[in-house]
Amino acid sequence: MVTLEQLLREKFGYDSFRKGQREIIEDILRGYDVLAMLPTGGGKSLCYQLPAYVLKGSVLIISPLVSLMEDQVQQLRQRGEKRVIAFNSFLETEVKRKAIERLHEFRFIYVSPEMLQSERLLHALMNIRISLFVVDEAHCISQWGYDFRPDFLKLGEIRKHLGSPTCLALTATAPPEVTDDIVHILQLQPLRRHIHSVDRPNIAIKVEKTEFIHEKINKLFDYVKMLQGPGLVYFSSRQWAETTARQLQREGIERVAYYHGGMDSEQRMLVQQQFLRGQLDIVCCTSAFGMGVNKENIRFVIHFHMPGQMEAYLQEIGRAGRDGKRSIAILLYTNGDEDMVQSLMETELPTDAQVKRLCESLLLYGAAPDSLEQQMSACSLTDVQKRILMYFLETEGIASSPRPLTEQEVAALYEKLIEKIESRRRWKRKKLLEMVKWIFHHSCRRELIVRAFQQSLEKKPDLCCDRCGFPLDGYLRVETEKKEFHFHGWQAELKRIFF
Amino acid sequence: MKSGYASFLMLFCLHRFNGERSLSAIYHLFSGKKSSQTLQDSKWFQLERFFGTWKEATLNDIEALAEQLLENGLISPVQNRSYVLTEEGRRQFNEQMRQAFFPVHLNGWRYHASEKWFWYRLSLLVQTLSNVLHRTRFEPIHRHEETFIWVKQYLLSQRKMARELAQTLYEEIYDILSSVSEEEATVFTLRLTSFERIGWTNEQIASLLQKDPVYVHFQFQNVLHYMMATAEAKQPSVLYELMHDLSLPIPLTFSTRKTYEWLLRGKSIEEIAKLRRLKRSTIEDHVVEIAANIPQFSIWPFVSEKKAEKIMETVRKLRTRKLKVIRDAIADDVSYFEIRLVLAKEGKMW
Repeated sequence: MVTLEQLLREKFGYDSFRKGQREIIEDILRGYDVLAMLPTGGGKSLCYQLPAYVLKGSVLIISPLVSLMEDQVQQLRQRGEKRVIAFNSFLETEVKRKAIERLHEFRFIYVSPEMLQSERLLHALMNIRISLFVVDEAHCISQWGYDFRPDFLKLGEIRKHLGSPTCLALTATAPPEVTDDIVHILQLQPLRRHIHSVDRPNIAIKVEKTEFIHEKINKLFDYVKMLQGPGLVYFSSRQWAETTARQLQREGIERVAYYHGGMDSEQRMLVQQQFLRGQLDIVCCTSAFGMGVNKENIRFVIHFHMPGQMEAYLQEIGRAGRDGKRSIAILLYTNGDEDMVQSLMETELPTDAQVKRLCESLLLYGAAPDSLEQQMSACSLTDVQKRILMYFLETEGIASSPRPLTEQEVAALYEKLIEKIESRRRWKRKKLLEMVKWIFHHSCRRELIVRAFQQSLEKKPDLCCDRCGFPLDGYLRVETEKKEFHFHGWQAELKRIFF
Repeated sequence: MKSGYASFLMLFCLHRFNGERSLSAIYHLFSGKKSSQTLQDSKWFQLERFFGTWKEATLNDIEALAEQLLENGLISPVQNRSYVLTEEGRRQFNEQMRQAFFPVHLNGWRYHASEKWFWYRLSLLVQTLSNVLHRTRFEPIHRHEETFIWVKQYLLSQRKMARELAQTLYEEIYDILSSVSEEEATVFTLRLTSFERIGWTNEQIASLLQKDPVYVHFQFQNVLHYMMATAEAKQPSVLYELMHDLSLPIPLTFSTRKTYEWLLRGKSIEEIAKLRRLKRSTIEDHVVEIAANIPQFSIWPFVSEKKAEKIMETVRKLRTRKLKVIRDAIADDVSYFEIRLVLAKEGKMW
């Protein structure tokens, strides 16, 4: 029989497993449901890709991010795996139809949650043998996750429809309230938990406070000039990311660009790829950047604005140092920053007036799935607001009932929604407060982070955090030769492309 | 947003609209909104080339640009959100028209729906060939499954070797870039991705050329549309193969298309309104849209030749497109529908 190590070498070209991978794979092969919380960049995908070569049937992977999905598909294809398909909104109808017809031929079937709404696809899935049901980014299931998605709620039921195949729920750093939700909704049983330390020992953590915003800007400029790249700078708004990128360019720092969700997809892709290929040193970005960006050698992550909660912070600094080499995370704080974050959070929640309008509309038109979306748009809700309300309606069982609602029902619903939004507001404030407390706390930052996830620190690295004290020397820029690009006119460049 | 070139385009549109359309009409034009009104506007005011060629622009951008022009005294308001050029505005505009780059090849009317896919295919094909020839691994520059599959199948269906195909494609691109300006050729080349260089963003190219990103955007679009037009005229070519199955539809709105089908089956406006449970005026809007877009569509079942002649006479005399002015000037009984129909059909002839 082929050993797991042999498979690893043969199919993936690695000599040994990374921490935790082997144990997870073995549990899957024994038929346990597995909840795996691995550090970002910990090689999560291998945990289901390798079993696919042992188990009979197809591995179904539900992944919320199309870009992430495409990444995985691309990587598999590059390794020579042809039996892979991704069902997402970009797939052409004709291609989709053909793929559904020969669904059993695929070893890997990637699906976005909204695609699972398709009766035909679901039906086809029910007729083939699913050996493993993988939920990527499973924290999206929980409303306490920072990136929850209403369509994830149905996954528990869908899994049942498919005959409850072995399930692997993969999640990034998540606190216990989130993992509890995952276990409950996906009905993981018998369950094996593989929770790995959230700590990333090769990332030193530093928080720096300034009194005024202009000091903070100067600090940022200093760091960007001083530190060894490549690096990411996170902002809470598109405007800030753009303006600062331009300012940095004016300061003589070349090879800087900005990235945010408001750019068209091609320009976004260009920036991402330029960064990956080392054409850019620094990207000024919003939280939109990073999902699915697999760059090993990011040396620093600076937060110009603090995120609204620890999970997001950890996720973002986790993009640094995936190669295991020395990296640094710096959070810049100015008095009153939390107010800005707070007001941003407020705009994400639907207002009472909007909820009222939606309820009145529901009374008139009912809550059939296709009209719901329209009604929400008519109440001028933003995408984020829609998502929250959708989630609440989904949990209340309203979203999928096509029958008209009575006046009492709507009145009760209104109360419920207001209450839920209020509790969400309280929860978000609590999370923010936790973040602020962390900034001002006098103990070791690493220990506090780990404790926030109810874990304990095994070993403190020498280069730990500003509370424990560490020198910046090791992170400073060492002049390395750069691949300068010389432009010799379009004729020469065009020739160079082809020949 | 740097506003140099965008301001020039604003002046151009406002000049053409001549105070008869609001700022949202400009926004709809650039974003390529498929409404009867926008489609007709772009024809009436001879702005078809710009239809759907600047989809990133927001209404806010357009309003901010107008605000700036207003502050600089280049335009003045005539009505609610409508503007005309001031004398100074006209002077500057004429000067810019003489000196500035103008996208003569731009044909948004024809290519607005297909240009993106053409570019996706072309740039992915170039990236693939470049990497294959240099034996390097790469990640596709577009995460677009359809394009990905199309390019893959295209390459598989080739009898030619990669090197040969690259040679042909290189020559075709080289020929086209040789007949545009140095700057345009530079913009286009830098947007391409090769084995060693990921394509540049408009903003990066702008900072190399010391121009603004909107300028670069329109230079790029201009070359792209020129390339598509050349490819259509010169078949067979690799470039034509990249676009031959992309539909270049007559830009009709969906609902209008339905009305058109009924008209072709000989139904009257009244009958169609009843059949489709729509207001008569809605069907009339559709008929106007059809008249503006389909050259072989005859308007004579809906308006007499005599009336049409009179309407055109008035239009020429008053040099206006304002329906009310035209109607008031014609003593006889003509309807707005009849005026719009004639204007749509006769389009530019004034």
